[in-house]
Amino acid sequence: MSASWEDAPGFVSIREAHGETTVTIETERIRDACLFARDELGFEMCVDLVATDYLGWGAQGVSGYIGTAGGRDLHSPMTQGLQTLPEAKPKRFSISYHLLALRQEALRVRLQCWADDGEPVPSVVSVWPTCDWHEREQYDLMGIAFEGHPNLSRILLEDDWAGHPLRKDYPIGGEPVRFSDAE
Amino acid sequence: MTISPERPRARRWPIVGEPVYEGSRIPHPIPTVLAVPDDVSDSEDIFRINFGPNHPSTHGVLRLIVDLDGEEVVGLSAVIGYLHTGFEKTMETKTYWKCVTYPERIDYVAYQANELVFVLAVEKLLALEVPEKATWMRMLLCELNRIHSHLVYLGTSALELGAISMFWYCFREREQILDLFELVAGQRMHTRYFQVGGLAEDIPEGFYPECRKFVEWMPQALDDYLAILDRNQIWLERTKGVGLLSARDAIALGQTGPNLRASGVDWDLRREQPYLAYEQVDFRVPVYPDGDVYARYRVRMDEMAESTRIARQCLDRLERMEGRPWIADDRKVVLPPREELHTSMESLIHHFKIVTEGFRVPEGEVYVAVESPRGESGCYLVSDGGPKPWRVHFRAPSFVALEATPTCAQNCLVADLIAVVGSLDAVMGDTDR
Amino acid sequence: MAARLRDYGLQSERLLWPTKGPSRFEEEMGVDELERALGLTTLEKAVRWAQTKSMWPDTFGLACCAIEMMSIVSARYDIARFGMEAFRSSPRQADLLIVSGRVAHKMAAPLRQIYDQMVEPKWVIAMGACASSGGMFNNYTILQGVDRIVPVDIYVPFCPPRPEALMEGILRIHEAHLAGIPPAYERRSVAT
Repeated sequence: MSASWEDAPGFVSIREAHGETTVTIETERIRDACLFARDELGFEMCVDLVATDYLGWGAQGVSGYIGTAGGRDLHSPMTQGLQTLPEAKPKRFSISYHLLALRQEALRVRLQCWADDGEPVPSVVSVWPTCDWHEREQYDLMGIAFEGHPNLSRILLEDDWAGHPLRKDYPIGGEPVRFSDAE
Repeated sequence: MTISPERPRARRWPIVGEPVYEGSRIPHPIPTVLAVPDDVSDSEDIFRINFGPNHPSTHGVLRLIVDLDGEEVVGLSAVIGYLHTGFEKTMETKTYWKCVTYPERIDYVAYQANELVFVLAVEKLLALEVPEKATWMRMLLCELNRIHSHLVYLGTSALELGAISMFWYCFREREQILDLFELVAGQRMHTRYFQVGGLAEDIPEGFYPECRKFVEWMPQALDDYLAILDRNQIWLERTKGVGLLSARDAIALGQTGPNLRASGVDWDLRREQPYLAYEQVDFRVPVYPDGDVYARYRVRMDEMAESTRIARQCLDRLERMEGRPWIADDRKVVLPPREELHTSMESLIHHFKIVTEGFRVPEGEVYVAVESPRGESGCYLVSDGGPKPWRVHFRAPSFVALEATPTCAQNCLVADLIAVVGSLDAVMGDTDR
Repeated sequence: MAARLRDYGLQSERLLWPTKGPSRFEEEMGVDELERALGLTTLEKAVRWAQTKSMWPDTFGLACCAIEMMSIVSARYDIARFGMEAFRSSPRQADLLIVSGRVAHKMAAPLRQIYDQMVEPKWVIAMGACASSGGMFNNYTILQGVDRIVPVDIYVPFCPPRPEALMEGILRIHEAHLAGIPPAYERRSVAT
């Protein structure tokens, strides 16, 4: 593969963590980037399409016991029980495309683009037909509007459901249980 | 009497729009809806029928809206969501230790695979090392669960196609597997035996001989099944050449697991991206090129035989690991043994903090995938450094398998549609989450 | 003998022909044995016994409990001993609705429709924790108990219940029906 991620249309940054590669792409160019990934870099399969809502991210610091294999480490403040704030995210929603290349060494990558509430994201159904239902599910549960999707309708909830349940400002619902708090 | 060849049917109406690639059989513009063009549906005698959410095919609450021209399926769209449980949202409100009971109910037939994938995702974020005994036991239980899942598939698929006695034969072996699970974890299904860090409890005495008895018996049972079905003219006629899915279409539709291997693509995550200890066991990956219902059935049958082999190897290895630890030693994450609570103050505090507040998982996002009996089952976990997950998403192989139904159901009769939906082996809990 | 039969409301030819001696059948059986050999009951009890011994369930498997429901049909926990192996696909032919699994909001309407399509007498078993009370799911989409939309006769707890537990629930319905207790729709309405 002669091409590399820096040549992808709309490339913003690349990050490696936990053995995984995450490539951030500009939202308007995500479809071109997916075509590039499929045709130039050989990622034939899109295994998953996930949207994450970061509303309220970092609003309260986390402190206390941090579970790590190494135990407490002076250089890692999270393990000292000090309060830390997670790094801020660029926009409210991140849409992650998990891609897989069916080669000898299973190559996986996560393409990520960021969107605000109401900002349309180009649909990649014409690149990988499997994203049809995945995008419908994320529209249904998160309210991400995918532009160019042939059939963007609710899939898991009823057609006349109001709201998008997986958003952070949507309550968990259910009935109140006495003598227990939120969980 | 010869097996009839693939029933050739000329496409009667032109396809609308552009296919995703030249020669693709995926319907377009909407890949998951096989549609009758508007100008045709008014003039021809098209009958729209509803295979409602409650129907005798034992696949759970799947709704298919089928357009029929006589007996031939000319239009198909699937409506799902009748079992949407809100797992992902519910798990955001529970600490990681309490979350473990949820993933197993997503794919309720292959429950160990879902447990495993969630636990592996948390361990990856924690960078926690799991003891060898736990790894091998997890592998053994996952393979037994694979046999269990394929047995349920085989029993119910055969039942729907009319081979009713297969149901009882398959469930006879299934009961033996559930006895093994009950011996280990106390529960037949949804064992909650995998914990972050290893296993919940040590492997009880008497498990290895019982498991070995089952593993010695299973090849004979598989021969029984092949004897009933594989030479049965009706079974062969109903499954060969039905529900075709080419390799390129399968990849474009995101298929994984047996559905992909039955279309000729040699891809198995246990071999390509080994997790647990799969690189240390010897097994074959069955691949069949035809892409029809028969190929999917044969892939699953062969996989049962391979799982028995893997289980035997796991047993050989586990029997030498008596007395070794079954869970990681990191007291910040793993509950201490109960005996210690009486004597050690630190253990008591750790236990208290882990149960009430929960252990914290460092900030980050991971995607872990395992080879579940249905395909690639994945867990995307985003953590904000707190005790509860920020976002959990499960990549459901059944969700993706049902996307292929319209492609496979082209040129099918109504009776073939039942065979096709059965062969894709979709579990509705996994589809709707 | 004639007096006892009359107590039961049965007419005998002896009432019309008081001087007739014992018949050949009675001579061979013996007068007392005849009563032991005959089963005397009311029509309602006989009908209830027949309904109990052939209470056909509807194929209403939703989630994990459906897999355990399938295993009571299997050979080990054989439910054919009770005459119930005939799972009817059509609710019009079914007597028993075993709601096995979590009921999502989208499924509530089809569930109620199936229940309405069943013909009286009909019984409902809420199998598992999710059908009884929502189980471990307390969220925007799961009905907190199927008794919110259909009246339930027996709740079978656990997640999922063992096949023997489900069978215990079914047998309790049989016993209740034999004892004359009416099905749940006559006794109570849905929970609010």
